[in-house]
Amino acid sequence: MINPVFMIAIPLILAFLSLVAARIKKWLLLSGVLINIAILFFLEKGETVIGGFKPPFGINLILDNYSMVGLALAGLLLLAGVVLSLDKADKYSTVLLTALAGINGMLLTGDLFNLFIFMEITIISAYILSTAGKKPEYSFNYLVIGSIGSVFYLAGLVVFYSLTGTLNMADLAAQNLSMGTPELLVPLFLIFTAFAIEAKLIPFGGWVKGVYGNSNRLTGALFASVYASTVLFVFGRVFNEVFALSGAVQTIIVLIGVVTFAFGEAAAFRQVKMRRILLYSSIGQSGLAAALFALGLIFPAVLLVISNAVSKFIMFSITGKLREIYKTDDYTDLKGVFFSNKLTGIAFSISAMSLIGLPLFFGFYAKLNALTALFNGGNWFIPAVILLFAIVEGAYFIRLLIALWAPGKEGEIADKSHAVGEIRIFNIKKSILVFILSLVILAAGLIPDLAGKLISSDSGFMGGDGPAFTMSQLKGGE
Amino acid sequence: MNLTIILAVTVVLAVVSFFITRLNKKAGGFLTVIASLFAFVGLFLLKGSIGGEFSIFYFSFKITMVGWYFALIMVLAYSMTSFFNPFWMDKMMYPGSYNFMYLLSMAGTIGMFFAKDFITLFIFWETVVWSSTFIIQLGKSRKASYVYYVVSAIGSMATLFAIMMAYSVSGTFVISEAFAGLSGGAAIAVFFTFILSGLAKIGIFPFHVWLPAAHGNAPHTFSPVLSGGLVKMGAFIAFLSVTAFPAYEIFSGMFKVMGTPFPIYFLMALGAISIIVGTLMAIKQEDAKKLLAYSSVANGGYILIGILMLDQVGFAGGMMHLVNHAVASAAAFLAIAAVAYRTGTTKMSEMGGMIHRMPVTYIVYLVAIISMAGIPPMGGFVSKWLIFQGLADKGMLFLAAAAFFGSIGSFMYVFRPLSAVFLGQTFTRDLKKKEVGFFMMLPMLILTALSILAGVFPNTILRVITEIQASVGISPVTLAENTIVTVNGYLDAFRVFIVFGFGFTIAFVIFIVRRKSKKVELMDTYTSAEFIHTRELLHYSSKFYAPFERLYDKAPDTMKLYKKIAVKIGELGNLTESLFYGHKPEKTVFWVMITGIFVVIIGGVV
Repeated sequence: MINPVFMIAIPLILAFLSLVAARIKKWLLLSGVLINIAILFFLEKGETVIGGFKPPFGINLILDNYSMVGLALAGLLLLAGVVLSLDKADKYSTVLLTALAGINGMLLTGDLFNLFIFMEITIISAYILSTAGKKPEYSFNYLVIGSIGSVFYLAGLVVFYSLTGTLNMADLAAQNLSMGTPELLVPLFLIFTAFAIEAKLIPFGGWVKGVYGNSNRLTGALFASVYASTVLFVFGRVFNEVFALSGAVQTIIVLIGVVTFAFGEAAAFRQVKMRRILLYSSIGQSGLAAALFALGLIFPAVLLVISNAVSKFIMFSITGKLREIYKTDDYTDLKGVFFSNKLTGIAFSISAMSLIGLPLFFGFYAKLNALTALFNGGNWFIPAVILLFAIVEGAYFIRLLIALWAPGKEGEIADKSHAVGEIRIFNIKKSILVFILSLVILAAGLIPDLAGKLISSDSGFMGGDGPAFTMSQLKGGE
Repeated sequence: MNLTIILAVTVVLAVVSFFITRLNKKAGGFLTVIASLFAFVGLFLLKGSIGGEFSIFYFSFKITMVGWYFALIMVLAYSMTSFFNPFWMDKMMYPGSYNFMYLLSMAGTIGMFFAKDFITLFIFWETVVWSSTFIIQLGKSRKASYVYYVVSAIGSMATLFAIMMAYSVSGTFVISEAFAGLSGGAAIAVFFTFILSGLAKIGIFPFHVWLPAAHGNAPHTFSPVLSGGLVKMGAFIAFLSVTAFPAYEIFSGMFKVMGTPFPIYFLMALGAISIIVGTLMAIKQEDAKKLLAYSSVANGGYILIGILMLDQVGFAGGMMHLVNHAVASAAAFLAIAAVAYRTGTTKMSEMGGMIHRMPVTYIVYLVAIISMAGIPPMGGFVSKWLIFQGLADKGMLFLAAAAFFGSIGSFMYVFRPLSAVFLGQTFTRDLKKKEVGFFMMLPMLILTALSILAGVFPNTILRVITEIQASVGISPVTLAENTIVTVNGYLDAFRVFIVFGFGFTIAFVIFIVRRKSKKVELMDTYTSAEFIHTRELLHYSSKFYAPFERLYDKAPDTMKLYKKIAVKIGELGNLTESLFYGHKPEKTVFWVMITGIFVVIIGGVV
């Protein structure tokens, strides 16, 4: 059994090495993400104390089911991203390795202050990655807003520390703080703001448009999948295990999440640039996941995060590459682009359909779980909003798919002569890699119970509920 | 026969056909014929195992009489249309995926009709929706495919909401039990949201916008399936919303119109509006396929009214109209497709006199429209007669008036393609065109025969319907040897057939004996020294009903409503973007402050 601390230490060491041995930094990066995956499955479960001081005095790492899923998701997608865009990743080897350490740390740590440090490492790496868009003002915007988040987070921690004398997650949770009291409301809001900024919740995520909208195939894919899911995972842990939300605070956070979902989908609906569509859709999905986390529906939220991360990874990668080739990501200029790229096109379509929540794809299972869990909690309003905006979501994604697949004038049958270019988007190896990733979505959608079991080990997360809906319950007739 | 085998074989063949098509396009097309015929025969043999329950993977199925009936109609439309597939492969941009989606959507419809629980039903339903969306985009309009998807999604999301809401009360997804325990406002909400997908699929006003778009622009080989088959999925949902959801019982305490609870009557009124809208719009169309699409809207209205009546006579009429419309509209669309196969157009003013070139197709179309208009001796007459009887019985004046209006109006529109496409002068361009080959003729002839048989021996179909009626606990329609008996009278379809056959024979003899009329070219006309070059303007059918159309050419376009909603959503998106997103940090800082102040006030800190 391997000590989880290596998940943080190895990438950090490799990151330092990559500065020294700049010539092989590409290989250091590759081996870093590979080792990360390799040791993931041999990690020691449970609590690991670092430095010999027992928590709450020392720092501890927690590897439970929940952090395991987060680590696996982030690690695998980072690996895929690096492999798919190694040429671009090369330049950012050190940054990506540091980011890996930060992400693993965020997911593993059991201490709020420790979390702050890892979050800073991760976010700073994100600032640097965002410069790949070559629009300094957007990176600066992100930097300023992100720093505000950090300061808020720190300020919130200070208050909590002064009130409780601890920042250990388990210790804080054990104090059963009543979140309704005004004294706690302000620090809680400060901490929430920090997460909301990173999780792109409206109205905090103003930086996203510039950063996501100018991402390339590497950074876009990583931002929307690895970074986004990590932040949401941590969000889920902090607002369930550490601070049990209730009352007005919970209502406000849920409301912010739901509004983010609705507004984000509406904003995506009017876009014609693919990266903009994807970024607003990411905002929407993120809002929904946050709302579910805030309601304590951890399992559906995790499903949603996973399905969104994988889909967005594929879609951002393809979009980024399209943008590289055709110098545009306006889908009206890319009509029929999938005609000569069928494998890539199928991968893109599967991802989009999974995001919409169409059956046979994993997103459907996630959606059903979310709806069932919400209805079980006596909530019909949020499902109504989800389904209403699922129509909008379906509308813009299907419109996009139709345009990318079937070119042709209105009134004439779809014809390949109207298709733009015959350039291959990805070479055959990369097409297959993307295609296989999309097959994972399809396979997980076809055997969702198995996927659900794999994710939650049937027991749910952090003592919460497991699947609210399983396909096997249909057979039982229940 | 086993449903597992049918589903497995069709899905496997769907995948196989995708790869075969890559090797040989025609072979892939023929594979869809084989697969759909196999499914049809398999389903036919499935009748013996009605009542059986089983599950495949996590899907659970129950073979019911009504499911069998619907599935058979559906697969009939699929299998007959599939005969055209091999001949259209070269025109498809993605022949492989067309064949794949064709069979996949067929498997989806089969699975959906036999679903035992709502999740199974929904999974299959949505699979049909997205796979057919990708077929429609291959046709003449991308927008059509988009409209089709959005309207379908409105329906299916509403239905999913209803399913989930019912589940939260009853704790089960099993169709027969899921709606137990609903009452009051929740019952009304579930009823209306549940049936929404049905309304959207049948094309009931105001959801009818997708039919002209999709039917009119889909590949010629898919329009017959859409009109003859897929809209019937909606009828199945309508059926479930008065049977599985015991609407008449749950709403029995409510305000009633002519003995029918208001929510149900409201939907029937929507059906009546669809009849009127469909008829009026069909009269207006220049494109034969769009015309038939609007006629599907009108016929969907009849079906909805019939099924919602859930009584002895009207219900039987509605259920029977399913078959009649499926058969007739599939045949009509196939006939138009056959003409388009030869001429390359579906615009009526660009065709004419095809009767001389394609006589068989002409007869197919003729029989189909006679049935659609509800004229004896075709099947459509019997089912419409039953629906009229049901309406008259209950004294539903408004609905009956609409139904009659639709019937009369249908004379006006179905006659138009007949005269425009088939009668009149043949275009010089088309003089060398031949009748389609036997392989394409075969399905058209089979459908024609079915149309006539349904009109001559309606009791064969009605007997199945009586079993359905018995299974949902209403008294079955009374059938004698070859007559249908209702309170107001009886119908002996065979005798009607004899009378009409006699009349037809006399007319035919006169036609043969009489001197042939002189044939003139279309441009052979007196134009008082003006030269007319656009021959379409001289065409018999151009501006056919102009004076009548002028009566309602200011009628509002329903599509505008959807466009407005789309604009509103876009505006919300615009607002979101301009309020919260920019490239300067001030905006976000501002919002952080505002939210902070808001939270502090709400929390009562200050």
